[in-house]
Amino acid sequence: MTNPRLAFLFVTPALLFLAAVLGWPLLEAVVLSFQNVGVIGTTGSWVGLDNYAKVIGSAGFWNSFGRSALWVVANAVVQTFMALGVALLLNQKFPGVRIARTWIILTWIVPTVVVVIIWRWLLSSSGGMVNPLLIQAGVIDRPVGFFATRESAMATLVMINSWRWFPFTALMMLAGLTRIPGDLYEAARIDGASAMKRFTRITWPLLQPTLLVLGIVGTLLSFNVFDVIWLLTAGGPSQATQTLPVLIYETAFKGYRLSEAATISVLTSILLMAFALLATRAMTASEEAR
Amino acid sequence: MKARLLTIAGLASILMGSTAFAEPVSLTLWHMEQPPHRVQRMQELLDEFNKAHPDVQVKQEPQSWGEIYAKAPAAFAAGTGPDMLFAIPDFTTVIKGIDAVVPVDDLAKDLEAKHGFVPATIAPYQYDGHTWAIPAYNMAISMWFRNSALKAAGVEVPKTWTEWKAVAEKLSTDGRYGVGLPANKQLYTDQTVYALMVNGGAADIYKEDGSISFDTPETVASLQAYGDLQKLSPPDSTSWTWGEAEACFASASCGTILQFSVINTYETQAEADAADLGVAPVPHSDDQSKSGTISYSNAIMLTTKDEAKQAGAKVFLAWLLEPANYGRFLTMEPGLFLPVTNDGAKAESFWSDKVVTKYKSQVETMIANSQNGKLFGFTTGKVFPSIGAISGQNVIAESLQKMVVDGQSAAEAAKFGQARMSEIAGK
Repeated sequence: MTNPRLAFLFVTPALLFLAAVLGWPLLEAVVLSFQNVGVIGTTGSWVGLDNYAKVIGSAGFWNSFGRSALWVVANAVVQTFMALGVALLLNQKFPGVRIARTWIILTWIVPTVVVVIIWRWLLSSSGGMVNPLLIQAGVIDRPVGFFATRESAMATLVMINSWRWFPFTALMMLAGLTRIPGDLYEAARIDGASAMKRFTRITWPLLQPTLLVLGIVGTLLSFNVFDVIWLLTAGGPSQATQTLPVLIYETAFKGYRLSEAATISVLTSILLMAFALLATRAMTASEEAR
Repeated sequence: MKARLLTIAGLASILMGSTAFAEPVSLTLWHMEQPPHRVQRMQELLDEFNKAHPDVQVKQEPQSWGEIYAKAPAAFAAGTGPDMLFAIPDFTTVIKGIDAVVPVDDLAKDLEAKHGFVPATIAPYQYDGHTWAIPAYNMAISMWFRNSALKAAGVEVPKTWTEWKAVAEKLSTDGRYGVGLPANKQLYTDQTVYALMVNGGAADIYKEDGSISFDTPETVASLQAYGDLQKLSPPDSTSWTWGEAEACFASASCGTILQFSVINTYETQAEADAADLGVAPVPHSDDQSKSGTISYSNAIMLTTKDEAKQAGAKVFLAWLLEPANYGRFLTMEPGLFLPVTNDGAKAESFWSDKVVTKYKSQVETMIANSQNGKLFGFTTGKVFPSIGAISGQNVIAESLQKMVVDGQSAAEAAKFGQARMSEIAGK
């Protein structure tokens, strides 16, 4: 028995709550983006599209957008490889697999601040453990600063963020793997298919729906990561890791240009919504084709 | 009957009146002294004050310097701001900009007459015809080193940049770094770079008319000297804040560092031989004759429009600066917070602290260094509002990163800094 009115009634409180905590601030941000408010708490006047023209015309916005895109792609690639390897391993039957499946989420549940402190200490060039280990292994001949150059800072951040998030991805993939019927592998084995063939012909294609969902959710989550970047590099050195969320924070709370920050936020939201819409359509089309 | 009723009514009104009169003024103090031992010392002082002043009750709510620039304006906008708020000079301009601070002219005058402020500690809070905050403690950057390390290397305490570089090169042996200077885009780097700028004749970043004066030969020379020394620092110093520099010094990995104080870290984490801990003025350029430094006081602003609360807050601030109490306030972090008043500098409550007693000569040197301190944006006698955004965006440190990270020349870095500051200042 279905009753649309009753269903709507049940959903209404949740919708009203979302409108209050999400819709209203979003609307405020849009209004703010058409004004010239500096410090939070002060008032501004209407400036029309001036902020949009300024932001879209600034190299800083597009540079940060490029870094955000690089950040998302790099995290997706690293996390997918790490997570897939671990998920395939945890999908096997071996003593202690249940404990391993539980322990794998440890890095994910550790608070960000703790993760940052651990890695800062490990990677320190005066007292950290990683540099001496690399010297002993003959990889480097003297301590290096992992956050010292533009390239190494971004790469190090991606590794740390991936280390933190890959268990989540691995568990999602593991859930996807367990949904693949075992008799498909059984039949493939009887037909003499090698392990690689079984992976490329069964595992990989049947994991696609899970990977697609992870791709969309992961992109949106990765794009909005602020805490790890801010606490480890604050967007440095020399803006090398200044992604859009970092740029928004710096513009609003360090540069005291609240309206400009709101403009960047609105543009970022539009970009992300467009991505989510296109990706969802692609996913739906893919499902229908299947 | 009527007489009895009148008597009861009279008594009731007296009781109600006295109850209303006894209602204490409750004040909220936001400060940014987050370490637990500082919070504990502050609570001890507040408990003592609250007990002695039943009509004024002060409670503390520790905040973070990293967030306060965003949190305080938001809190005032929402009507949930504190009644008293700790400040540094550029932060005061931000809070004044949103009309959330009230002048404390009369109180400053009274306290000046009673205790005598060190002029440099109150000057950055006096502009536009008013005093905007009461100084609480002073901080000044000095150069820290180990006497034994210099002796082993056969060098003297450096007084000029050339001498400092030579000493740092001598100390750079056995995986140790002769110097530890930050190059992060952060306030600590702003401070250390400016400490060299003060010693290179580049202290004024504003002209009298409010236009920017960063791209000068003196700034270029200061950036160049800093960059040369920074090459002798640990490679991860591009992401350092104060803590990493102190840790590097405490572990003897860094030979010399610029820091407000290392006494607490040295006492708790290093070998703690007080006689071996050296402190000296920041070296100056070869063409200057004496050293200066960056120094600024932390102060307390009144941020309530309620007159009863303002009166209560003034009672509290006056109590805090009484020499008997003030020393215990300063020694919430022994050897870091320096007195802002003349009688505070002599207070028994300050000098009797066991850590201050142990490192007396170092603390005396720090106080002497603080007398020659300056702060960027507060050197010309005029205060321009854009200093809040220039400081908030760490433009001095950002300019240095153009050299250290992007490989630009000192001249190009100074040019970049001039353009960024001018853009922010709108001039």
